[in-house]
Amino acid sequence: MKPRQVIPESGDDIATGPDTTGHEWDGIKEYNNPMPRWWLWTMYATIVWGIAYAIAYPSWPLITKATPGLLDYTARGALEEDIRRFNASNAPLDEALVRMELDQVQSDTNLYAYALRGGAAVFRNHCSQCHGSGAAGATGYPNLLDDDWLWGGSEDAIRYTVAHGIRNENDSDARFSQMPAYGEFLETEEIDNLVEYVLSLSGQDHRIEMAVAGSELFAEQCSACHGDAGLGNQEEGAPNLTDAIWLFGGGRDEIRHSIYYSRYGVMPNWNERLTESQIRQVSLYVHQLGGGE
Amino acid sequence: MNILGKHRILERHATLLLVVSFLVVTVGGAVEILPLFYLENTIEKVKGMRPYSPLELTGRDVYVREGCYVCHSQMIRPLRDEVERYGHYSLAAESMYDHPFQWGSKRTGPDLARVGGRYSDEWHVVHMVDPQSVVPESIMPKYGFLANNVIDGRYIEDRLRTERRVGVPYTDEMVANARADFLAQADPDADYDDLLARYPKAQTRNFDGQTEVTEMDAIIAYMQMLGTLVDFSTFVPNPER
Amino acid sequence: MNASSVNQPPLYAARTPIFPRRVSGKFRSLKWWLLFILLGIYYVVPWIRWDRGDALPDQAVLVDMAHRRFYFFMIEIWPHEFYFVGGLLIMAGLGLFLFTSVLGRVWCGYACPQTIWTDLFIAVERWIEGDRNNRVKLWNSPMTFRKLRLRMTKWTVWLLISVGTGGAWILYFADAPTLIQDFVTLSAHPVAYVTVGILTATTFVFGGFMREQVCTYMCPWPRIQAAMMDENSLTVAYREWRGEPRGKHRRARTDDSLGDCIDCYACVNVCPVGIDIRDGLQMECIGCALCIDACDDVMERIGKPRGLIDYMTLVDEKLKTESTNFHDLIKRLLRPRVILYACAWSLMGLGLLAALFLRPDIEFSISPVRNPLFVELSDGSIRNSYEIRIKNRHGSDTKFSIGMEADAPLSVRLEGSDELSTFVDADQTALRRVYVTAPAGSAAATGGKINIRLRVEDASNAASAQKTTTFHGKGQ
Repeated sequence: MKPRQVIPESGDDIATGPDTTGHEWDGIKEYNNPMPRWWLWTMYATIVWGIAYAIAYPSWPLITKATPGLLDYTARGALEEDIRRFNASNAPLDEALVRMELDQVQSDTNLYAYALRGGAAVFRNHCSQCHGSGAAGATGYPNLLDDDWLWGGSEDAIRYTVAHGIRNENDSDARFSQMPAYGEFLETEEIDNLVEYVLSLSGQDHRIEMAVAGSELFAEQCSACHGDAGLGNQEEGAPNLTDAIWLFGGGRDEIRHSIYYSRYGVMPNWNERLTESQIRQVSLYVHQLGGGE
Repeated sequence: MNILGKHRILERHATLLLVVSFLVVTVGGAVEILPLFYLENTIEKVKGMRPYSPLELTGRDVYVREGCYVCHSQMIRPLRDEVERYGHYSLAAESMYDHPFQWGSKRTGPDLARVGGRYSDEWHVVHMVDPQSVVPESIMPKYGFLANNVIDGRYIEDRLRTERRVGVPYTDEMVANARADFLAQADPDADYDDLLARYPKAQTRNFDGQTEVTEMDAIIAYMQMLGTLVDFSTFVPNPER
Repeated sequence: MNASSVNQPPLYAARTPIFPRRVSGKFRSLKWWLLFILLGIYYVVPWIRWDRGDALPDQAVLVDMAHRRFYFFMIEIWPHEFYFVGGLLIMAGLGLFLFTSVLGRVWCGYACPQTIWTDLFIAVERWIEGDRNNRVKLWNSPMTFRKLRLRMTKWTVWLLISVGTGGAWILYFADAPTLIQDFVTLSAHPVAYVTVGILTATTFVFGGFMREQVCTYMCPWPRIQAAMMDENSLTVAYREWRGEPRGKHRRARTDDSLGDCIDCYACVNVCPVGIDIRDGLQMECIGCALCIDACDDVMERIGKPRGLIDYMTLVDEKLKTESTNFHDLIKRLLRPRVILYACAWSLMGLGLLAALFLRPDIEFSISPVRNPLFVELSDGSIRNSYEIRIKNRHGSDTKFSIGMEADAPLSVRLEGSDELSTFVDADQTALRRVYVTAPAGSAAATGGKINIRLRVEDASNAASAQKTTTFHGKGQ
C-alpha cells in the first residue's frame, strides 16, 4: 500500500494530510478530508427509502386529500385493527365468561382478573357518565360503592339490571316500577305528616305528632312497596327508607319533593350496545366495588 | 460553469445567502403547512363543539397562567393503550376554539383531554389544595391559593370579544350576557336556562363549595367540561382520516 | 464535476483496502487469549443453568422481556429496579474513562466487539486466501474460477460466524435450549428471526467489509477519546528520537548517521487500520499493539533493542530523551483524574451493591382511592378504600396478611375475603383493595382527615413493612 506522505509542506498538517480544498478566506485554508464514498451511498439509500415511503404511506397533498399510499394506512384504521386483534385474542376468555355462572367466576383467578380489567374499561366508557368514573354516583344516580341496592346487588341481579336497564322504553324486560306522584291525590297536610314519619324512620329530627299521624298513611299508601317497616323491596326497586342513603336527598325538603312529585331514575338497556361478555365483565366489576351482596 | 461554481456566488455573499435560505425554508414550510388548511381529511366537523362558557374560559386562562400545559397534555393519540386509559382519541375539532391549543408536549402528569366528569368536584378541590393527600406519588405543586382568589368577571366581556377577534364565534348575545353567565354557572340558585341555551352541556353548580366565585370554581368548571362536548356514543369516525 | 474544475479536490474517497500481515508476539498472543475468553463467555453464558424454583426460569443470565424480569445468577431485577441496569451502564462508562486515563485505548485494542470480530474475520481470510502478499495478489488479479472459489469459501465461513453471532445474542432473551429448538424448527417468534437476521447482516458487513471504517467513521468513541487524551495517556507510539533518520541498514555495518528504523514497513503492513504509526498519534489508531510485536521482531533480528515502537506516554518520552530518568508509574496512576474516575466508579459500585443488599424483603404500595374519597354506608358509617399492591419476590405463591393501626376506632377489611390475608402468585405483583371503616357518628367519620398506618406481613418469613396514609371523614 502507498505510504502516507509525511513531509510537511508549508502550512500542511501532518496528521490530517497535506491536501487543501483550495478554498481560502482571510488566510485560512480548508483541509480536504474526503468523506468515505459509502457515506454518499447511505445518503442515496435514504433518498430511495424516502421515495418508497412516500409511495407506501399517505404523503403528497392533492386538491382535496393527500395521496393515500399503497398500504392504505390511516392512524384510525391502525387503531381499529389493533383493537380488533386484541378482541380476537381475548375471544376464548369471553366465551368462558359467558358460559360460566357469575358467582363461580372468582374461582378462576385468571378469568376473574380479565373480567375485572375489562369491566373497569367498560365502566369508564359507558357507565361513568352517570355513575361517575369512581362509581360514586350523584344525586339521582345511585352510588354503586355502598351496600344499599335498589334492585339487588348480587352478581346476577346486577347483570340483569345492566343488560335490560330500568324503566326504559327500549327493552320489554327492563326493570319497572313507578311511584305515584302523591301531590295529585293527597292533601298537603297529609304529605307533611308522611314526610315527618319518613324522617323518623331513618332516625332524623322530626315532629313526633305529625309522624304518628303519618304512620297510618304510610301503612295505607307506602308499605305495599316500601314494606311495613320502610325497609324497602328490591323486587319493586323500592328504596330502604331507614338507612343513611338517599338517592334524591334525605332532608325534609327533598323527601317532600320526592313524595309530592315522585322521582325515579331511568337506565338504558345495554344488551344492544355491549356484548354479553362485556355486560358480565362490568357486572363483576361493579359487584366487587365494595357493596356487592 | 458547473453547479458548484455557481454555488460559490451564494457562499460568498452573506445577504444573498440569507435571502435564498429564507426562500428555501419558506417553500418548504408552505408545502408542509398550507395543505393542512384545505385538505378535507385534515378538517373534520363534529357535532357538539361550542365556544367555552365565560367561566370555563376563565378557568382555561388560569390553566394557561399556571403553566399546567408544561406537565399535562390534552391530546389522546389514536393508540390502543391511550384510548383504553384516557378514552376516545382526541379529534382536531375538539380544540377548534382553543387559542392557543393546549395539546402540550409532555406528560409529567396524566393527559387531561377527557378529564371532565372523571373525578368529583370535591376531589378536584382536595387535589388542588394538597395533591399528595389523594395521589401520594404525585409531584404536582399545591394550588390551594386559587380558592382564595375571588373573581367577579369584570373583564369577561372584553375577554370574549378578544376571542371573537381571533375567530371564535361568540355571538353578540353571548358577549352581552357574558358577565351574567359567568356568575350564574357557579351559583346553584341561578336560572340556568339561558346559559344552557347558549352553551349546551355546560355544567352548573357551585364547584368549590364556597359562596364566592373563585378561580377554583373557574378551573374546576374548565376541568369538568374537558372532552365532554362531543357525544362519542353517536360519533362515527371517518376511517379515512 | 466536469473537466473545468481540475483543481476541485475529490469530495469522496473510496476505501483503501487493507491487507494486514500475520504477526506474532506477546501482544498478539494476549489478543488471541482475550478473543477466545470473550467469545467463550458470549457463547457459553446463556447455557449456564441456575435453579430458582419451579415458577421461575432456570437460566443463569436472562433478560425476560415478556415478563419484564432480568435474571443474573442469584439476582433478580424487576422493572422498577431498572436503576440497577442504569447504574451498571454508568459504571461501564466510568470504567471506560478509568481504563482510558490509565491505559489509553485498551478497550478499542483488545475488548471491543468490532475489534474481536474483525480479528476473527481477518484470521479466516488469512486461512483461506493466504497472508498479505497472496491477498494483495488475489485482489489485483482478474476474476478467475480460483478467485471466485476462494471468495465464496471466505464469505461462507464469515456468514456462518455471523449467523452464530446473531444466534447467540437471542439466547440471552429466552430459555436457550427451548429457543434453539424452536428456532431450527421455524416455530420461534418472528422477532427472533428478525434479530438474528439484523445481527447476521451487521456482523457480516462490519467484520468483513467495513472493519476500520466502523472505528474511524461510525464510532464516536475515538473522537471522545481524543478529548480525553493528555500527555500522561498511554499510547502506542514510535520513538522518533531513536528511529530517525530512518533508512536501510547494511548487514554487519553500522551507519551512525542513521537511526534504528530500517524503514521496513513491518509496522505498516500489520496495521489493521492501515496507518503508519511513525506519523505520530492518530485518531484512527485503535491501540491494538500489533505494530509493537512486528517492530520488536525486526529489532531482534537486526540486533537492536526492542521497543522502537512501544506503549508510552508523552511525559515519559520527554523525560527519557532529556535525562533517561523514568517517570514513576505510581505517579502516573495517582493523577487526579485517575483517582477521580476510580472514586466515582467505586462509589457507584458500592452504591449499587448497598442498594442490592438493602432491598426490602417485602414491598408494597398504597394508593388511596380518590374517586370518591369516602363512601357513606347504609348504617351511616364512613368507608375509605385503599388499593395496595403487594410484590411477591418468592419463587412460590406466598400468603400476606394485612393490618391497620390508627388512633381512632376504625375497622379494616379486605375486598372479596373474610380474612385479612391474601395469596400472591409467585413472582407477581397483586392488587388488592382494603376497606377502612369508621362507625357512624364517630369523630373519624365526621371529622377531616387523619393518618392511619397499613401494615403488610409476609407469612413465609414474617417480614413486615408499614406505610402511613390518610383516612378522610365527611368533614373534609
